[in-house]
Formats: sequence, C-alpha cells, structure tokens
Amino acid sequence: MTSLRETDVLIIGAGATGAGVMRDLALRGISSILIDRSDLNAGASGGNHGLLHSGGRYVSADTRTAAECHREADILKRIAPHCIDDCGGMFVAVEWDDETFARRFPDHCRDAGLPCKELSTDAARTREPALPGTVIAAYAVPDATIDPFALVLGHVDHAIHLGDSAYLPHTAVDVFEIANGVIEMAMCRDLRTGAETRIRARQVINAGGASTMDIAQRAGCSDVKLLYSKGTLLVSNTRISKGVINRLRVPGDGDILAPGGTVSLLGTSSVTVPRIEDNRPTVAEIDHILAEGTQMLPVLETTRFIRAFSGVRPLLAAPDAGGNARRASRRFLLFDHEDQGLKNFVTIAGGKLTTFRLMAEKTADLVAARLGNTAASTTSTTPLPQGDAIRWTEPGLAARDWYRRADPSDMIMCECEMVAQSAVDDITADAPGAESHMSLKAIAQRSRIGKGACQGAFCAMRVTSHLYDTGVYDSRGGLELMRAFLAERYRGVRPVLWGAQLPQAELAEILHCGLAGLDLMGSSTTGEPE
Amino acid sequence: MKRHTRHVTADLAVIGTGIAGCAASIFARDLGLTVAQIGHSGAMAYTTGYIDLLGVLDGRVLDDPWSGLDALRSTDACHPLARMTNHDIRTAFDRFVRLLGEMGLGYTAPGDRNVSALLPYGTTKPTLSLPDTMLPGSDALHRRAPALIIDFEGLQGFSATEFCTNMASVWPGLRPARLVFPGLEARPVFPEVMARTLETPVAQEQLADLIQPLLNGAETIGLPAILGLQAPDRVRARLEQLTGATLFEIPTIPPGVPGIRLREAFERELPRRGVLLEPQNKVSEAILRSTGVDLTVQGALDDLRIEASAAVLASGRFLSGGLKSDRYRVKETVLNLPVRQPETRDGWFSAEYLDPAGYPVNKAGIEIDAAFRPLGPDGVPASDRLFAAGVVLAHQDWVRQRCGAGLAIATAYGAVQAAAGSINAR
Amino acid sequence: MLKKSAETATIDFLATARALLPEGASYDACVGCGLCASGCPASGMFGMDPRRFINMAMLGMNEELSTTPWVWACTQCKRCAYICPMGIDVSLLVGASRSNWAKEDKPKGIVRSCAAQMLDESTSAIGLRSEDFVEIVEETADELRQNDPRFAEIEVRIDKPGAKFIINQNSREPAVEPEEMAPIWKIFDYVGADWTYASKGWAAENFCMFSGDDEAWRDMVKTRVDAINDLGAEIWVNTECGHSFYTLWKGIDRFGLEANFEPASMVSLYAQWIREGKLPVNSDWNVDNLKFTVQDPCQLVRKSLGDTAADDLRFVVETLVGKDNFVDMQPCRSANYCCGGGGGFLQAGMSKERRAYGKRKFDQIVTTKADYVLTPCHNCHSQIDDIGAHYGGAYHVTHLWTLICISLGILGPDERKYLGPELAAIGLPDPQ
Ligand SMILES: Cc1cc2nc3c(=O)[nH]c(=O)nc-3n(C[C@H](O)[C@H](O)[C@H](O)COP(=O)(O)OP(=O)(O)OC[C@H]3O[C@@H](n4cnc5c(N)ncnc54)[C@H](O)[C@@H]3O)c2cc1C
Ligand SMILES: Cc1cc2nc3c(=O)[nH]c(=O)nc-3n(C[C@H](O)[C@H](O)[C@H](O)COP(=O)(O)OP(=O)(O)OC[C@H]3O[C@@H](n4cnc5c(N)ncnc54)[C@H](O)[C@@H]3O)c2cc1C
Ligand code: SF4
Ligand code: SF4
Repeated sequence: MTSLRETDVLIIGAGATGAGVMRDLALRGISSILIDRSDLNAGASGGNHGLLHSGGRYVSADTRTAAECHREADILKRIAPHCIDDCGGMFVAVEWDDETFARRFPDHCRDAGLPCKELSTDAARTREPALPGTVIAAYAVPDATIDPFALVLGHVDHAIHLGDSAYLPHTAVDVFEIANGVIEMAMCRDLRTGAETRIRARQVINAGGASTMDIAQRAGCSDVKLLYSKGTLLVSNTRISKGVINRLRVPGDGDILAPGGTVSLLGTSSVTVPRIEDNRPTVAEIDHILAEGTQMLPVLETTRFIRAFSGVRPLLAAPDAGGNARRASRRFLLFDHEDQGLKNFVTIAGGKLTTFRLMAEKTADLVAARLGNTAASTTSTTPLPQGDAIRWTEPGLAARDWYRRADPSDMIMCECEMVAQSAVDDITADAPGAESHMSLKAIAQRSRIGKGACQGAFCAMRVTSHLYDTGVYDSRGGLELMRAFLAERYRGVRPVLWGAQLPQAELAEILHCGLAGLDLMGSSTTGEPE
Repeated sequence: MKRHTRHVTADLAVIGTGIAGCAASIFARDLGLTVAQIGHSGAMAYTTGYIDLLGVLDGRVLDDPWSGLDALRSTDACHPLARMTNHDIRTAFDRFVRLLGEMGLGYTAPGDRNVSALLPYGTTKPTLSLPDTMLPGSDALHRRAPALIIDFEGLQGFSATEFCTNMASVWPGLRPARLVFPGLEARPVFPEVMARTLETPVAQEQLADLIQPLLNGAETIGLPAILGLQAPDRVRARLEQLTGATLFEIPTIPPGVPGIRLREAFERELPRRGVLLEPQNKVSEAILRSTGVDLTVQGALDDLRIEASAAVLASGRFLSGGLKSDRYRVKETVLNLPVRQPETRDGWFSAEYLDPAGYPVNKAGIEIDAAFRPLGPDGVPASDRLFAAGVVLAHQDWVRQRCGAGLAIATAYGAVQAAAGSINAR
Repeated sequence: MLKKSAETATIDFLATARALLPEGASYDACVGCGLCASGCPASGMFGMDPRRFINMAMLGMNEELSTTPWVWACTQCKRCAYICPMGIDVSLLVGASRSNWAKEDKPKGIVRSCAAQMLDESTSAIGLRSEDFVEIVEETADELRQNDPRFAEIEVRIDKPGAKFIINQNSREPAVEPEEMAPIWKIFDYVGADWTYASKGWAAENFCMFSGDDEAWRDMVKTRVDAINDLGAEIWVNTECGHSFYTLWKGIDRFGLEANFEPASMVSLYAQWIREGKLPVNSDWNVDNLKFTVQDPCQLVRKSLGDTAADDLRFVVETLVGKDNFVDMQPCRSANYCCGGGGGFLQAGMSKERRAYGKRKFDQIVTTKADYVLTPCHNCHSQIDDIGAHYGGAYHVTHLWTLICISLGILGPDERKYLGPELAAIGLPDPQ
C-alpha cells in the first residue's frame, strides 16, 4: 500500500530540533509534515540530562557556547515556564578537586556574562543538605531543568493547531528521489504497517539528530561529519536535591546531579562510540558514574536507582578534538548543502537541548527564505500553549491532579506515578500522534507511565488491560506490544539491579512470566491446551 | 521497663513462613517433632494458588512433569528437585495437598500430567495441582466449553475482555461481561475486599442476582479469584446453587486472593497443630551450635529465644528477604551462608529481556549437600543441624521452570526428613 | 469535614520516614504490590490508601500528605506493616502527620479527650477527677459488700503501697456504669491476688498519642509511670483495653522513661490463673451452645504481645465457652483487621468513615454466625456494638470478665448490661 502526501516542508526527526522547526515554520504560516522513524523524543531529546544550562559548565572552555546557553535559557524560561523547573544550580568542588581551578570560576562566569554567587560551605549545605562536609568551594548559578517531553509535545501540538501541519510517528525516510538538484520525493516507510508513504515537499529538513549524517548521505551529501558520544545517566527513585549540583572541575564523568521533577538524574559518562546503535547503559558505566558521583554526594552510595539510560550526542567533529568527545564542540551547524548540489535540503546538526530554539530559528530562517516567506521568527516571544492531552509528562502532575479532583471512580493505572485512567484516555484521544492504535509505549512516552519505581511491572499490565477494554487492542498483539515495551524498559533497568531494585525486578519477572506467560510467548506450546 | 525474653525449646525451628516453611512445619509435626516457626509476610502472599511441580524445562512446556524430573536428574543433578526421588516428591506433594483440603482449601490431587491452568491475561501455564475453585476453568478450556467471563468495575489486574480476546484462538466460545460489585460502586476494588464480602450470604445472593440476567444459556462462568478467603469451596458451591451454573476462578495480579488464602489458612492451622508460630517477626540472630541452633526474635514488646535441636532455613529469595544484595554481591541474610552466584554484577542479568536461558542470578542461592545441609565457605556442611529448603536454594529457576511451590514442598519434605534423622541420631 | 488550615507547616515525609522507620523497612523498599492497601479497611477513603501514602511521599507530595484528613481515618493499626513483605509501616508517618496538624484543625473529639486527660493526675479522658474516682470506687465497693453476702469482705484498695499488681480502669465504668467494675474485683478477689488501684493515672485510655500530641502523650505516661513506681507494684495490669497498653509501654520506650515494673495484659493473667487452677472456669453454663467469636485488639496483639496474646485469649475463651462454641474470625490473631474504633476514630466524629471502615469487621463477624463477640478492649467494644446496630447485626458484645463471673457463678444481677436475653438471668436465683 502506498500513500502520497504533499506539504511545504518535510522535517525528518521529531526531537527538540525538528519539533522546534515545525513550530517556528507554522508561526510563519508555513505548513510541514514532521516524521520520526520511532516517535517523539526517541533520540537524544528523550535521553538527556534535562539541564537547561545556565552556561556554567562551558564557561572555562567555550565562552560563546556559555553565553548562548544563558541567553536561550532565559528565553525558554519566559516562553515555556510550564516545561521548566527553575530550581537554580550550584557548582561545587570537594576535597579531591583542584581548588585553583575552582577559584577561577567566578572570573570565567563574568567573561560569559553569567551571574554567579559564592556560597560558604554552610550556606551550600543548608541549601542542599545532601552535600557533604568536604565541600571546599560552592557557587550558585541560574541553572534550571527542562522537561523535554512536555517541550516537544507542546511544540508539535501547537504547530498542528496552527495550520495544516501533521506529525507522523514510526515513519522513516528511506530514499530520496532527486532530480536537477532538487529532492522531488522522500520515500518513507511506516515501520509499523510496512506501508510506503511518499512525501512530496518543497523543502526537506534533516533534523535527525545523531542520524543526520546518515540521512544527509542518503541525499548524497557528504558534508555532515559527526562524532558520536554516548552518555549514560542514572535515575533515582526520589528527588535527592532541590537544585542542580554540578561538580566544579574540568568537565568529567558523574559530574552532575539534576532534579527531574520527582526524581534525580545523575550523569553522565562520555565515550565515543562508532555507531549510534551502541546506546545501552552498561554496568561498568553505572559503577564508574557512581564512583565519581559519590565523591561529591556520598548519599548516592545508598540511593535507590530505578533505571539508567543512554543517549548519543551528535557532536560536530572539531579538528582539534581528536577522539575526545568532551572537547568536541557543543555548537551547532546549519548545512545548506548547496555546495553538495542540492537546493531544497538543509541539515541542522550538533548543538544542545538548551539551544534547540535558536537552532530551529536559524533553520527556519533559511528554509522560509527559500520558500519566499519573509516573516521573521517569533519563537523567542510567543508563549508555548499548554493542553489537556500534552501535559501528562510533568512529574507529579498526574498525581496532584488526581488528588485534587478526588474522583474515586477515575481508576489509577500507574500507582507509582499516580497516572489515572482519564489521563490515559486524554492521551489516546488527543495527544500528537494519536491514532486508533496508540500503543502502551506511545502512551508511556506521553505520560509518566512506566517511569516510577516499578518501572512498568504493574502499570504495563493495567494499561494493557485498559487498552483491551477500550478496544484499542483486539488481539494477542496487545500482549506482544506489552512485551516489547517491557523489553525496552529492561535495557535501562538491568544495570541498576541491586539492593531494593532486586526484589522489584524479581516480582516483575514473576508477574510477567508467571501471570502473563510472556517468556513462553511464541514458543509453540504456549497457551495451547494439550 | 524490663524487656522480657520468652525462652522456648523445640526439636525443630523453621525459619520462614512461605510455602517451604509451612510445609516443613507440617511434615515435622507429622513426625511428632515439636516445632517453632518464625517468619513474616513474603512471596507466598502473591501466589496464584497453583502448585507447580515442573512445568517448563529448557524453555519447553512439559506435559509430564515426572519424566521431566527424570530428565532433570541426568542433565542438572544439582537442581534441588533432582536430589529427590519421584516417589518422595509425590509423597510430599500428596500430603501437602491433602492437608490444604483439611484446612478448607480443596486442591486437585496431583496426577501424572500437567494441567493447563488459566492466567489472567488469557494465556495458560502448566501446573500439577490446582485449587478446586479453579479446576473447572481448565476443564472448560479442555472441552472448549462456552463460558461467560466476568470482571468488575474498579478491579485492576483482570479484564474479561482481554482474557477472552487473547484466548479466542484456542477457546472461541468466550463472552466477556462487566459487573459492578454490590456495595463497591464507583471506586477501586481489591479482590480481597470482594472475597471477604462474598463470605456473607447477603453478598452471595446479591452477586448471584447480578449474574443471572447475564447467563443467557451459559453453563460455565469464570470470575476473578474472589470466592471467599477461608472457605472458597463453600462460597463457590453456594453461588453455583444460586446461579445454576458451574463457576471457576481465574487468578489476578497482586494483590490477589489465593496467596492471602494460603497465608491465612496456615496462620489458622499451624497453631492448631501445635506449631509455635511467630508470623510477624523475622529471626534477628541465629547461632549454630554443635547440638542445635539458637534463634533470637525481637518482638515489639518482648523477645523470643528459641533453642532448637535442628533448624530448616526456608527464607526465600529477594522478595521475602532471604537473599539481599548490595552493588557487588548477593548475600544470605540469616546466617550469612555463602551464596553461589555469578562472579560480578554484570553477570547477574542477561542482556536480553526474558532471556530464554533464564537470568543467571535466578540460579543463585545457597548450596546444599545430599542431606539438604547448606554448605559453608569451605564446601562442607555449615552444621549437622542446619537444613535448607525452598527457593533460597541454588541451581533452580523456579519462575521460568514453573516449579515454585512444588520445589518448596518437596525440598521441605527432604529437609525435614534429614533434620529428623539428625535429631534422632543424637 | 476535617480541613487543615493553610498556614500549618508541611512535613518532609521522606526525611521523616528516614528518621522514623527502622533500617530495611524504609519506603524505598516498597515494590508497589498493594498488599497493604488491599488489607487496609481505610483504603479508598479520601482517595487514599497506605500504598498511595507511600507513593505520594516518594513523589514529594508533602503538602497533600500534610493536609489529608485520611490520617484521621487510618487507625494506626499496623495491619499494613503486618502484610507487607518489606515490613513497611505507614502508621508511623500517619502519626507524624497527625502531630503536625494545628490543634484547632484536629478532630475536636480526640483533642478534647486528650485535653481532659491532662486536666489532673487522674488522666481520665472523660475528665473524671481523682477524688471522684476514689469516691465512686468506694461507694460501688460498699454497695457490693452490702448487696452480695459472698463479697461482704471484699477489699478494693486504692494506693496500697507494695501491692503486687496495680490495675488500671477504663473511665467508662466509674463514670457511666460503675457496677461493671465489680466483676474484675471479684475475679481478683477470687484468686486472692494482692492488687490495688492508683488514685493517680488510673485511667485506661490515652488519646494524646492519637491526637498526635507527643508531649501530652509523654506527660500522661509519665504521670502513670510515676504513680506505679511510687506504689512499688511489681506488675502493672492493663485491664480489658488495647491502646492504654500500647501507649504506656511504647511511651516508656519512646520517651526513655524509667519504669520499675512489668506491663501485663489482663488476658494473659486470666490465662495464667486458669492454667494454675486459680480460676476454675469452664463452659458448663453454656447449655444452649451459644457461639462466640473474639476480637483480637490490634493494640494488644499485633502491636504489642503478638500471637502469644492471641493464644492466651483463645485459651481463655475456649475454656469459657467450650471449644466447639468458639469460632474465629478470618483473618484473626496478629493478622486481624482493626475494628475501626481505634486510633481515636470513635472520638473523631467521623462516623460515616468510621462505619465504612467497620464494614469489613462487620462482614467478618457475620460470617462467623456468632451470637456474641468478646472484646477485651473498650474501643473495640463500642465500635463493634455500633456497627452491629448500624448494619443490622444480631450479635451482642461482651467483656471477658462477664463470662468469667458467669462461669464462677458470681455475676451480680446488675452486671449484665451487655448480655443478651438468653443469658440475662443465668445463674441468678430463680425469682419464684
Ligand atoms: C546523555 C546526554 C545528555 C545530554 N544532556 C543535555 C543537557 O542536560 N542539556 C542540554 O541542553 N543538552 C543535553 N544533551 C544534548 C541534547 O539532548 C541534544 O543535543 C538534543 O536533544 C538533540 O535534539 P535533536 O532534535 O537534534 O536530535 P534527536 O533528539 O536525536 O532527534 C532526532 C530524531 O530523528 C529521528 N530519526 C533518525 N533517523 C531518522 C530517519 N531516517 N527517519 C525519520 N526519523 C529519523 C530519531 O528517531 C530521533 O527522534 C544531552 C545529550 C545526551 C546524549
Ligand atoms: C506473584 C507470584 C506468583 C506465584 N505463582 C505461583 C504459581 O502459580 N505456582 C507455584 O507453584 N508457585 C507460585 N509462586 C511461588 C510460591 O508461592 C512461593 O513463593 C515459592 O514456592 C517460594 O516458597 P519459599 O517458601 O521457598 O519462599 P517464600 O515464599 O519466599 O518464603 C520465605 C519466607 O521466609 C521468611 N524470612 C525471610 N527472612 C527471614 C528471617 N530472617 N527470619 C525468619 N523468616 C524469614 C519470609 O518472611 C517468608 O515468609 C508464586 C509467587 C509469586 C510471588
Ligand atoms: S505492601 Fe509493602 S511493598 Fe507492597 S505496596 Fe504496600 S508498602 Fe509497598
Ligand atoms: S495502620 Fe491500619 S488503617 Fe492505617 S494504613 Fe495501615 S492498615 Fe490502614
């Protein structure tokens, strides 16, 4: 089965950048189709630290990036406050660290125009009781955290509501039909149904994150050169700190503990990997991050971690970085590919979540100009709207909302995060990507389901039952989708299985094998009576 | 205030109140031993109620568990079930199941073949003995008998629609229906609460009245496991009488009823059989002596000191607290016995989800000799008076092999026989 | 409905949990299985249950937890900790939350009861003063001596130094039904025990713990402990009551008080005296084979003495009513459900919730088909009586002391308030 769709602009990749471009264009009156081979935030945008960088981390090495972060963070705090926890941050050096380096921090901040306030050890520990007595220097900076899921959902939802833009999940670009320096057709595939979708667009934007190099090559462009840097993070069961705590030293591993709403994220590591598929967190990485992290925060030694995850940073290969990803540029580049002989193709690569808006603006500027649209970007001033179906990613929101409404007939499907049936129904009805077949995984991507301590052990089963009840699932395929969802969670759960997480994992395995028979699914004798 | 210590002596101390521990107490009483049993709530409270012996071997579903055991003996001699003869296993199983019947929980006598037991998600599992309340479901499946499957508004963990949909290919004549449980409208309902309510005649009648109009000729009705807690067979009989249909139960996900039934039945029955039962405290200290084992239990208000001539350790795995881990090693919690386990944490879990081979950590546990004596660090029994049973033992993967309760019962029998021998030899 | 005023402080529940919960039983150990919620009769009220309480603490919903009126519907019975494989005890945090409510927002009845107990050294929740207590006891004892020649010499002592036993007395009897004190006296007299009341701290109730006023709880326990220490009694006997037992020993423990006596439950003493032959009771009187069940008070069994107390209780009851006439509720012993009268629920003025909580107990009782429920606890007694009336139960609720006196043939004519018609005249001389 083949379908044909036409649009002004095709955007490949539904991470923060792609979503940002979609909205920027829509605000200028340009419609687009956004596709993702998986789903919203399937790439680095869904696998990062969630830091809305004040710039503090870059002041010593890259003043320009630092200043850029600072500016962009300020804009985002204004236009999308509901996606941001303006929790503040701190740079902290402990006994092991180089004090001379630490003491230069305020000067570097001044150079980048970044406010920074020295804190006494006591003041630092009052603010963050988790800090040890071994703190030797501490500075407060305006760090914040951002919920990339709310952000991206909000952008796509807004763009869709602004005009006839559309979002197509699980749609991957395969090949481009090129003639006369123009991409005439993008041949895409619906990876769930296997159907071919042909998309004709006047302009094609490659916002494929780590895959931009690959996508560019498919269009015959060899100018995008990336370094893949894998980063791994741990998620704790509860929130450990009020604000962001950064280690004040030459940027290294296990340096940052950032709150993520109701949890905390510890990370990261940084290793250069040859392929973007190498993104499973490993036991060795976890142990390494913890060994580093506990120096700054001894409480991490006894913290219950519920999950780990990895993302691949697409870094622009800088000539001087060698193999060292930490020294590679965190800047971004916009490729117009005109020297590659293409007139309607652009690639936006590199950068950070913090600077996604700026990246989107620059990209949209180029594309709009090519389309003869002279409207200027308004994303730095237009507030990001909120909506019923797209608000459920905020940690703790579902719980507070449920508690406030106190409707006992609104069953809670995910107890850990207290996500109610009504939230699930909202999402299946209206969230971007909603179709008749929104799966457990897609719902989880748009809510807190599966993100609590049980990591989906219970809620996967409850939501699956609900999807059967509501007719979304009508065959054993529903169980298979549940298994696939759990298999994906498992990748992140596996390296943190110790202590309190072991009984949890044991119970999950008993439930999924003993009560659902997932381990025998597919085996010839399963489920068949003798 | 003086903190009291009660002193108790017993022939046998049983550490753990799971299936293995309770079976051990019963077997020991049968032999005339005096028994003190200590434990806390644990994995047993979650169980489906099915008593598996051996349902899966090397990823294959077994029709005949007994020949499966024979195969196990030749391929995996360290498996705790491989240490016993089929005859002894059958004896243990038979006795245990009969005892459950005496306690008011009727079970089918273990036969020669596994039975396909129903699971809440519309799949099945091989088991050997099932509660009488669940048997008609397996029978109906076997006969492909048309059946009405009922679930309840507000009940999480069982969907009749899901059950029927997923069963459809093997059992076409199923029809789902949803009821509001009388008195529990517009609110979350727990199976335990429904089961408790269904023990009253009023609730039985109310439910039957709700079921009647749905029957539409159906002769068989499947319900989530809610047919009472202390006398499920009586509740079922009464509802069958009221509805004129055959009823069966399907287990639900935790918190479900069958595990609570077992736990409450043992709490009721063991003291009646003369077991000194301490059901809400764990052993805080255990000392091995040449003539027995001393245990200390810290109660809320006073302490208990047990001097036993022998002890059976049946403390379960991670869920029940018999094993625990830090970031580096798995440890046994009562006596710090050596735990057989993969070299490093990286080896505990496979890379692949539900790896068909089973996660290596599943087979971690304590090693025993042929007489069920746990081995110490030097590879010889830690004591002549200490025995072990249940899933705390190494070399088994009860979740994947579908052998949980059966393994607990069988090894409890083996351990108690050995313990009795050691006491009598004194 | 109860509402907390906005300005009261918010507790950091995770930090509190870290401080209160024993090692290994931290909230972090929760696997989310819901066994606690399934077994908690307060589940669903105000949208809460014990699992949800924990999850909300994890999510940092401190404001909601600091204000939810559910903390007054949880009776702190510890059933959740009992069934939780991880031993997680929600009642401790419920206690912390109660403490944090401003006095004026707390349920008036509990606060009033605690305040009454702080009025003078009698520690009575009904506000019965020491001198009144002494007077009522003496008057009642005089009447007994006059009316029943068998007890013409009975000694009822107050403040006797060096007595072996010192016993407490629930305020309900001296204040409302003084004649109900007599059976206990008769039993002590029968076994020839050397006992006394104390005029200070005699009352067998303690609502200050439930009102979340730790300081008052401590003060009251101190008053009682001092009185017992001063009289030099060896054993402090808690008569048929649950929470006055728990609050005393727990208070001694928690506040590090010096107590030179041992706490004992009346039930265990009954059992001991029966075993020793000092109380030659049997079930001969139960000619109609009336059926009895028994409520294991949470405070006495699960929260204090464990199944030893449950065993004693059953031994006493089975001896008294006949083995075949005793039917256990399910679950029972340490696993028993709270009746819903505990935790100050009876005093809190939340009768809708209290009765909803008690529905489970009612179903349990009805299932036993018992004619009588024996309740060695005053709160259980009142609650089980109330839910029986509310839900239409046909059972009576009685104290153990009544049956013991029946069996010994010493129950006076005016000591039968809680007996049904079948037993109302038992053992009385035929009027003809
Ligand atoms: C571990 C880690 C931590 C980080 N921490 C921070 C931080 O704290 N703060 C910060 O500001 N930045 C952080 N970053 C960087 C930030 O996450 C990324 O720069 C940003 O998310 C990139 O967004 P993107 O939209 O460009 O790419 P992505 O989010 O990777 O999106 C690309 C999308 O393209 C899709 N795609 C790929 N190929 C195809 C195809 N052929 N067809 C269709 N779709 C395709 C993918 O499925 C994916 O969804 C971190 C990165 C990592 C890896
Ligand atoms: C969800 C679920 C479903 C199941 N379904 C089935 C099924 O369908 N079929 C089947 O055959 N089996 C099933 N089982 C398994 C079965 O119920 C038993 O859990 C299993 O057989 C293990 O028994 P055990 O007695 O060895 O250990 P456990 O049941 O784990 O008991 C261990 C006991 O030891 C106690 N303990 C731990 N430490 C101490 C200490 N220091 N002092 C004193 N006591 C201590 C614990 O409190 C606990 O009571 C299921 C289990 C679960 C969890
Ligand atoms: S019973 Fe225990 S582990 Fe289960 S949900 Fe309740 S507190 Fe958590
Ligand atoms: S203490 Fe009792 S009432 Fe309170 S949460 Fe636990 S089980 Fe429920």
